[in-house]
Amino acid sequence: MEVITRPQRWDNPFDPDMTNAAVDRLLAIPPFSRMDPAKFSPAAPLRSIIHNDTRIGQYQHGDIIVREGDYGNSAFFIISGAVRVVIDDLPASVLGRREPRHKSFVEVLAQVWNTRKGIEVRDLAAYTTPSPAGGSRGDGARTRIFLQDVPAVLSEHKTVRLEAGEFFGEIAALGRTPRTATVFADGEAELLEIRWQGLRDLRSRVEELKLYIDQLYRERSLKVHLQETPIFRHLSEEDLTEVVNQTVFETYGHFDWHASYKTIVEGRAAGRLDDEPIIAEEGHYPNGLILIRSGFARVSQRFGHGHRTLSYLGRGHAYGFDEIVQNWRQVNQVPLQYTLRALGYVDVLLVPTPVIERYVLGPDRDAPLIPRSLLPPPITVPEAATTSHPEQERRRRIDDDFLEFLVENRFINGTATMVINLDRCTRCDDCVRACAATHDNNPRFLRHGPQFGPYLVAHACMHCADPVCMIGCPTGAIHRDAFQGQVVINDATCIGCATCANSCPYQNIRMVEVRNDHGAFILDRTTNLPIVKATKCDLCIDQMGGPACQRACPHDALRRVDLHNDPESLITWISR
Amino acid sequence: MISFAVRRWTNLAVCTILSGLGILLYTLSSPALRHSSFFIVSGWVLFGLLIVLALYTVRKKLPFLPLFSSSQWLQFHVYAGLLSVVLFCLHIDVRVPSGGLEIALTVLYLIVVGSGLVGLGLSRTIPGRLTTRGEQVLFERIPALRRQLRDAVEGVVRRAMTEANSVTIADFYARRLVVFFADPRHFWRHLVESNRPRYRLLNELVVLDRYANTEERKLMDEIADLIRAKDDLDYQYAHQAVLKYWLFVHIPVTSSLLLVGFVHGLVMMVYYYAFRGGTG
Repeated sequence: MEVITRPQRWDNPFDPDMTNAAVDRLLAIPPFSRMDPAKFSPAAPLRSIIHNDTRIGQYQHGDIIVREGDYGNSAFFIISGAVRVVIDDLPASVLGRREPRHKSFVEVLAQVWNTRKGIEVRDLAAYTTPSPAGGSRGDGARTRIFLQDVPAVLSEHKTVRLEAGEFFGEIAALGRTPRTATVFADGEAELLEIRWQGLRDLRSRVEELKLYIDQLYRERSLKVHLQETPIFRHLSEEDLTEVVNQTVFETYGHFDWHASYKTIVEGRAAGRLDDEPIIAEEGHYPNGLILIRSGFARVSQRFGHGHRTLSYLGRGHAYGFDEIVQNWRQVNQVPLQYTLRALGYVDVLLVPTPVIERYVLGPDRDAPLIPRSLLPPPITVPEAATTSHPEQERRRRIDDDFLEFLVENRFINGTATMVINLDRCTRCDDCVRACAATHDNNPRFLRHGPQFGPYLVAHACMHCADPVCMIGCPTGAIHRDAFQGQVVINDATCIGCATCANSCPYQNIRMVEVRNDHGAFILDRTTNLPIVKATKCDLCIDQMGGPACQRACPHDALRRVDLHNDPESLITWISR
Repeated sequence: MISFAVRRWTNLAVCTILSGLGILLYTLSSPALRHSSFFIVSGWVLFGLLIVLALYTVRKKLPFLPLFSSSQWLQFHVYAGLLSVVLFCLHIDVRVPSGGLEIALTVLYLIVVGSGLVGLGLSRTIPGRLTTRGEQVLFERIPALRRQLRDAVEGVVRRAMTEANSVTIADFYARRLVVFFADPRHFWRHLVESNRPRYRLLNELVVLDRYANTEERKLMDEIADLIRAKDDLDYQYAHQAVLKYWLFVHIPVTSSLLLVGFVHGLVMMVYYYAFRGGTG
């Protein structure tokens, strides 16, 4: 038996080099000097949060701090100097990304004779030609992209200057949503970067910070979010504002779910749900409509001495509306029919039941404010325990255990998950060959992976809805394509730090040593070690006709499935 | 997304209609016409169809071209291939050919069609078998996995000699297991789903139980697991090999068929126009 010290929250501080002197300096300046240490719990005191969940960064003029579209897990506080927020879009090349484009038919045809014969061969010119728009300094995870021509950016783009004492990046950090703007240093700037966990604690203990962040979210995002939800579309501007004001923000689970879920999956099946925080419990009064803002939640129902998974909810999905409507109808009062649990990390919006009843449903039960087509059918109590949830029909068509497998392994995160039906797959490897043929003779996935019954989920990038691989990329080389949304890597700006490969919970990113046309490794001038690049499936973004793997399968055995937005497509496919 | 059943019945219906039209045309044409223009036209149509069918291999080599999906090509390949059987029968006037070239052509055609049908049957039956037994392994990795199993079993045998100080297991290994772990075994038995060799080997191991002490029994359990793993690997090898290798008959013979068919077409054109003046 091995005995170890139980891992603690701050075993891995954000910056191991953070000194007590630096913490003292921070605690002496506002807003930290105004925070009352007595309001913090003994387990997470203010000083420890500053010491372990923050780091100080020095930025030079033009250094890009965050890029529009990046996923981040931290917010920034300007200690000194100033930054500029670019309101409109900067060109992809400036941000260290590749310009999205499709190959023309001639270029596609040219692959017949242009495909390289060697493995991971690269054109050296792509690495040695400096970008006209930007450059990089530093190394490893501390590499920074900077703008070459700041005056040009200032003259051609709308910017807003933020001064010392202001926060930015907090909405994306707390909501795990893409950064909405690019921010760069305007002159020399000293910034405090606060990782998500610390920001969450500061927000919960410092009322002003909480109000400030919540207000920002209400102003910038919440109204749009609600307007995108069908049941709020009919609301007038004033009513919607009222709903916005009364909406409550809640967060469940762990932000770094990708680091721990594998351990949970490998554990005892019956106990897995114990680690998932309950958002709303079966049998309880529905005290509000729950809207998933980010992350995933499991819908389950009691079965025997455990719980059976019925479905999963993602960003934009709602929970509890059926029960609220049922009780508003005053036919049969019902409690919540299902339990909602956080899968990893979930950010939810809770619109209280009285608010829904007043603004969405209205006082007159015979003439509801909401279009009747959006009202769910009545829940019949005797059947409530076994049927009537909209997901029930879906559940009948997909095997319980298969759904459990997809949820447990977090494949529901994928928007292009590669599923292979082994009952039809002849193991001909045409998919692998097609992938190699479209990627310069380098296959970008493995026809291997976790399996449930006849279904295999291959090790191919799933182009996740919550792309944790994108968190922490120092150069922004891994990013979402601006037009189509695929997660792609710009080979020219990838520095081979492996942050993305280490973050990917599905082991779908591979680090490769690149070579020249003669097959020799391209070496780093300083260390004499091979240059390494991150590679993965790009869903054939620049090819005509979509993913070559799927089109190459002769037996319809392989499908790229959007499990996040369109799980129906999987059901349709497997029940062909 | 249409279901496989609907797709299958639609394709069969189209095939049946086209076959019916072909047979109708054949039946309605006069014997004189049948022996002239009909054979010329049907022959070249058949040859063209075979060329298009053979282009599927080219499509597979160019997956980046937007030339329909491989699945659509395969559907066309299968049903157009079936249609070619009808066309072939009409072309040879539904009789056994007599000339040397014609007989060779017929034999080649039958091999191509036969291997195609066998391949289709294999691709529909074997994947399910591969899913239900043994681990999912890549065919190219099987030799390496086999070596790992052989090394593992040799390790157990060495432990039996050193730890249990007995040659019972070593003797059994030398007698029965060296060959078993060296190469793929029982290829045909696996294809007919026979488990007899596996049970026989495991039974022989069980018989040794009377000569073994407690330590050796534990090692024999490990060997039994390795035998099962190797047998499953052989099962995977046999089935995956069949799935891969039937194409080694289908594709080369298709090339020969196209070559001989082209020669046959030229000969017939020369005969038709030079010696009969194109009058039939």
